[in-house]
Amino acid sequence: MGDHNNVNLPPGFRFYPTDEELVVHFLHRKASLLPCHPDVIPDLDLYPYDPWDLTGKALEEGNQWYFFSRKTQNERVTNNGYWKAMGIEEAVLSSSGRRVGTKKYLVFYLGESPSGIKTNWIMHEYHLSDSASSSSSRSSSKGRSTKKIDYSKWVVCRVYERDEDDDGTELSCLDEVFLSLDDLDEISLPN
Amino acid sequence: MPESMSISVNGQSQVPPGFRFHPTEEELLQYYLKKKVSNERIDLDVIRDVDLNKLEPWDIQEKCKIGTTPQNDWYFFSHKDKKYPTGTRTNRATAAGFWKATGRDKVIYSNCRRIGMRKTLVFYKGRAPHGLKSDWIMHEYRLDDNTNDNNVSTVMGENSTEEGWVVCRIFKKKNHHKTLDSPISSSITGEMRNHQMFDSCNEGALEQILQYMGRSCKEENEANITNTSRFLQPINTAGFGNNNITGYHDRFLKLPSLESPNSTSTTYQSMNADLLTDSEATMNGSNQCHGSSTTSSEPNNQLVYQMESSLSNWVALDRLVASQLNGQTEASRQLSCFSDPTITYCNDDDHDDHDHDHDLQIPNVRSSSSSSNKSYHATHHYNSEIDLWTFARSSSSLSSSDPLCHVSNSPI
Repeated sequence: MGDHNNVNLPPGFRFYPTDEELVVHFLHRKASLLPCHPDVIPDLDLYPYDPWDLTGKALEEGNQWYFFSRKTQNERVTNNGYWKAMGIEEAVLSSSGRRVGTKKYLVFYLGESPSGIKTNWIMHEYHLSDSASSSSSRSSSKGRSTKKIDYSKWVVCRVYERDEDDDGTELSCLDEVFLSLDDLDEISLPN
Repeated sequence: MPESMSISVNGQSQVPPGFRFHPTEEELLQYYLKKKVSNERIDLDVIRDVDLNKLEPWDIQEKCKIGTTPQNDWYFFSHKDKKYPTGTRTNRATAAGFWKATGRDKVIYSNCRRIGMRKTLVFYKGRAPHGLKSDWIMHEYRLDDNTNDNNVSTVMGENSTEEGWVVCRIFKKKNHHKTLDSPISSSITGEMRNHQMFDSCNEGALEQILQYMGRSCKEENEANITNTSRFLQPINTAGFGNNNITGYHDRFLKLPSLESPNSTSTTYQSMNADLLTDSEATMNGSNQCHGSSTTSSEPNNQLVYQMESSLSNWVALDRLVASQLNGQTEASRQLSCFSDPTITYCNDDDHDDHDHDHDLQIPNVRSSSSSSNKSYHATHHYNSEIDLWTFARSSSSLSSSDPLCHVSNSPI
């Protein structure tokens, strides 16, 4: 299922990166022109693909697609629709609590902006935060300004279709009911 | 490149960034457990063996770590030992608590073929049956025993494959904002927890079920209080002053908890002896309670004996009470006989004289076990609302087809 061509892992290992990993390990290295290791996320640049066309182009794992893209100021337009920002932004923090990036949420609309039809396709767009890039650029001796442009140039995206299925790590609703019934057993039938 | 990305075998797992061990149930069963059972070498030692009885969930979490990245779930092999010679459930006890199975086992399919079963267990801290439920959940996967397909293997999660290797996943339940400290508090906050469950699963039907459960429990609770006060009325009108009533309260309050059956039964017996004396005195002088009050007539004897035999322990008593709570109309009618002698205790057409009521009541009071049923209501009322709630809730889990359900109001 997964497209980790160069990663040799036993069955059961999947690409489930944390936000921090996406930003610090993948996006930061991409922006810094460092080799990504493992190099699993493809670069789709300013792609025109609809979300359902990502299969085979982006890294697919568990109904989620990952890819690098160029940052745009305008709405991302695809063949059949466009991505619209939901206006939600989250800080991506490192394990030490430092802000390393920003996570933006977008929704895919079918048709032409602004009269498109909203879909269940969601995108998480990760940006490097300025501080992360500037601190790194300072460490490199080369011209800071040019480096900074590079840093802000890339985003890493996760696309998925929202639905309510569980991934198996959570209890099913039926299990929850049984769990609550267990309470009754414990209390009313002490034997 | 591959060597630096692979997982080293000797405990020091190294997973490339972004990758997690997130096997499907099929992978767990078909790849890992199958290899384990057939003693095949598994390339990389990602799933370790764990003696479930020796490790607490939080220790497993440490032992089954893969790499250094944060994990939400942990995997291990466990060898199921023989269950205890008695009892139907496998007891998976640790030093600090025990794993308790919940619900039914789920069949795991692969390409429409049945490959195994999944059992869900919850970790309780403490000792059964008084453990405190934790947020730790375990899914225990076992390969299907293909040899006996005819066996009903899903009954309460136990089947014929009691021995051998299983592969387990443990994780902490999400959406559980606070730990429930005790069974009592859990019964109080039952409704709150239901609401939390709504958060975690958005199924409309389930929500309705749970809301109904919560509501009906509350109704039963309230109805029970009404019944209880109605039951107490005749004692009051039969000549007890308020002081006496208070005395009764004290006596009831001194009762031990329901969880110690032995001491409870003796206390109840002595208390009932007192009650009987008082009742006899008052009933003899009472206008309402005329007729013989100490002996029972033939047909009712049968009923009483039947109740005696079936009410031999608290479990049976619980059921009877629960069944009464189940049918509120019936229960209130039964109890109302204490205040209204014109209503017969049993719906027995052959015995419609009013003495009949007392014939039934008094033996109830006299015989320790069956009178518990009656005094139970009173006790309930004064013990605490918690008990009411508890038993009201328990009633919802008992089916109305329970044989004890109609003992008290069916003709003999």
